[in-house]
Amino acid sequence: MEAEIMTFIMIMLPIYAVSFALYIIRVLKGPTISDTVLAIDALSFETIAFMAVFAIFFKSLLLIPVAILLSVWTYALDVFVAKYLEKKEMGD
Amino acid sequence: MSSPIDIALVIIGEVLVSIGVFCGLVAAIGMLRFPNFFVRLHAATVGSIGGAFVPIIGAALIALGSDFLDYRWLFFGSLIVTAVMVMLVSPAGSHALARATHRAKVAPVEPKVADHLEEDEDKKKKEEGHDV
Repeated sequence: MEAEIMTFIMIMLPIYAVSFALYIIRVLKGPTISDTVLAIDALSFETIAFMAVFAIFFKSLLLIPVAILLSVWTYALDVFVAKYLEKKEMGD
Repeated sequence: MSSPIDIALVIIGEVLVSIGVFCGLVAAIGMLRFPNFFVRLHAATVGSIGGAFVPIIGAALIALGSDFLDYRWLFFGSLIVTAVMVMLVSPAGSHALARATHRAKVAPVEPKVADHLEEDEDKKKKEEGHDV
């Protein structure tokens, strides 16, 4: 049972690597600031899923609180950039 | 030896993780190929719900079915909390970003049939102008 699960997760690793690379290309290319922030958003959620799957692979609980905090920071990034785009200031 | 219900949980979880990885790859390709910001928003939604929420639920089921982990109920609970967090946070964030981008006119609204938000803002601006 354990060997099958580990093999399955190792098969998933290169696909995750390809999608990370494609997202990073969009982060670097993005013509406007909104495109960059949206790509960083999607990249963060992909990283959260990656951490959740690889917490089982490494048998380590320490990766999961990091994933929860990363989702909250992604929301904070969205709200800060939206605030900046609407009012051209970061909030008092 | 693992019981049949553990094997069933692991198989369901592996199917969900496979769906999630496929959605993540498709969303990354779409994020690269789509023409402008408001079309790329669709790829971001596929990538956050299909590519993050579904595989985290799948990982929770795999952790629940694998008896070699020490704290498998703790894995299950914290992964469910992570999934609910992602489901609450990602639509709110992308909605705020899209609204701000539309109001600040940073990106063009390109494949456009009707734009009621822009019409309302124009109407409001015109009424304020008449009042002054």
